[in-house]
Amino acid sequence: MNSLHIHHNKKERRFAGSAQYRAQDAPPVAGRAMSTVIGVLPKTREKIITATKAIFLALLYIAFLSLATKDVYAADYGLSVTPPLLRVHIKPGKSITQVFTLNNLGQGDQTLVARIVPFTEADHQGNPVLNPKSTAPWLSYFSLANSTVKFNEPFTITSGATEQLILSLTVPDNAPLEDIYATLMISTYANSVDQGFQGTQLAATIGSNMLITISSVAFPDTILKIENFTPQANSLIKIGDLYFADSITPLTFTADVRNDGDFTAETKGVFRITRGSTPVYLEGILPVNVIGKSSRQLVNTDGQPFSFTPSLSQIGPHQITLEIKTDNSNTAASFTIVFLPLKLLLGLLVAVLIIVISVKLTTYYPKESVDIYKSE
Amino acid sequence: MTKKPSLDSKKIKYYLITFIFLASIFTFVNTSPIFADDLKSPAFEIQMSTINITGGDKSSTSYKLSDTVGQTFQGQFNSTGYVILAGFQYINTLTPFSFKISNLAINFGSLVPGTPSLLSNTLTVTTGSAFGYSVKAIEDHPLQISNGSITIPDTACDLATPCLPTDANVWSDNTRYGFGYNMSGTDVDTTDFVNANYFRPFPVQNIDNPVVVMSRGNIATSSAATVSYKLNVSGSQAAGTYQNSIQYIAIPSF
Repeated sequence: MNSLHIHHNKKERRFAGSAQYRAQDAPPVAGRAMSTVIGVLPKTREKIITATKAIFLALLYIAFLSLATKDVYAADYGLSVTPPLLRVHIKPGKSITQVFTLNNLGQGDQTLVARIVPFTEADHQGNPVLNPKSTAPWLSYFSLANSTVKFNEPFTITSGATEQLILSLTVPDNAPLEDIYATLMISTYANSVDQGFQGTQLAATIGSNMLITISSVAFPDTILKIENFTPQANSLIKIGDLYFADSITPLTFTADVRNDGDFTAETKGVFRITRGSTPVYLEGILPVNVIGKSSRQLVNTDGQPFSFTPSLSQIGPHQITLEIKTDNSNTAASFTIVFLPLKLLLGLLVAVLIIVISVKLTTYYPKESVDIYKSE
Repeated sequence: MTKKPSLDSKKIKYYLITFIFLASIFTFVNTSPIFADDLKSPAFEIQMSTINITGGDKSSTSYKLSDTVGQTFQGQFNSTGYVILAGFQYINTLTPFSFKISNLAINFGSLVPGTPSLLSNTLTVTTGSAFGYSVKAIEDHPLQISNGSITIPDTACDLATPCLPTDANVWSDNTRYGFGYNMSGTDVDTTDFVNANYFRPFPVQNIDNPVVVMSRGNIATSSAATVSYKLNVSGSQAAGTYQNSIQYIAIPSF
């Protein structure tokens, strides 16, 4: 209580002094006020001058900083590119241009470098295996038509801004008829690292794939083969080439497609289930590109494996078929599944057992009880 | 005096026959409709024969199809000598493919031997008009002293649970030193990064291939994964400032 009280008194004195000063002088100009203060408090004169100078210099410094520096953000990265895929069919001797739009989504300016990286392979999901060391001769077909941005030279996009890369593809008259696969890669660029920094400096690259078919015809020959077309289910029984499955259990099917040709093909087609000649289920195949000499997983239009849930009535042999029809090549694969009401029969068996047991219990007459006392 | 228990076999047969009879009726009455008519509709015929001028998605309860606009390709190629198809015809969006990293500077600062330092950042991918993507990672070299060749090795994880650039494993022993990373979040292989104690070393440029750290086989909208970087040094590690560079490569599927 005492300390609080003392503190309160001090505050009262300070405010009282301040009020007294204002009442006595109230100078309209700061300089006059200062001279008045000096006059009123001669012992603290030097201290006030020093403090005033310090405050003035601090304000000046703050004002300088606010004018001379830009906003500083955490070193983040964000970049978008469109289109993510470029598919070109082109005759030798022809040229095309395609604009790729980059947008800086980061909070700071970004210095970037663009380059073309070839690839010849890809995984089953269509992700290219890039080969940055490749020196394919066809790399010279590509150039940038921008006035300021060149391949392998840094350029800057300010935060929130957009840059367009105008890609030019010029195929010579004597170019071999083949597919060429490349990724336009845009990477962050840094030529120096803070020597006091201990840790990992991250770099980022974003890309857009290009599948180029150099051909004198619109649809060069492709050779597609469906592989590994099988049902995926635990309750399947396989005897010879026949599968036996329960008639009400959902089934999924997986398959790959292999392109043995030299040119890219697209997987247009259907997944079909028929009973006899009557189709009972149909689902589209996701149309994706299969580059030459590669395999790719076939999926439905949702990007998932094909699936089918039979109904109670769908009993007996069913033909499961995948059909791909490209502009110059057809392929199909099929097998037979015999749907049997296995779960239903099991349920019936259990039901019969329950009924039998119930009947037994309801018709069972226990031995008559014997009155031992009476018999005695 | 006992009375012999008896099963009324006639009754059982009656129940059994009745049950099977009713079940059979139920099976054949409760059938799903067959959509032969729909499948032979013009929409279906379009898919499997030559497509002229049509496109888009077609669906009913028994089928889902997506087809393309057709015969202009051949004519255009013959007249102009080229055809350009930008993007994916089956994704109706103009959203670009984007990649974000929340922090490019993983600054561990001062290190305490035997006490692991953990830092993290976030990778975010939106496929936009692409159908799938992968993000791969590779480092230029292990953490290396800035003015020399001494390195902090990439982690091999615990002695009993060794890890590789393509195979995460447990790293919880503080007497095991090195630099590694853990991943969690969307589109991360959680069968490999089972929990926060599972780490991998980064693959090294010119020695290893980049490894996939995020991937998805269909459309991703702001798929975000957290990368946790772990660094643990021994007391005998030479003093100095150690640095390296890790590159993340985000490429859409084709």
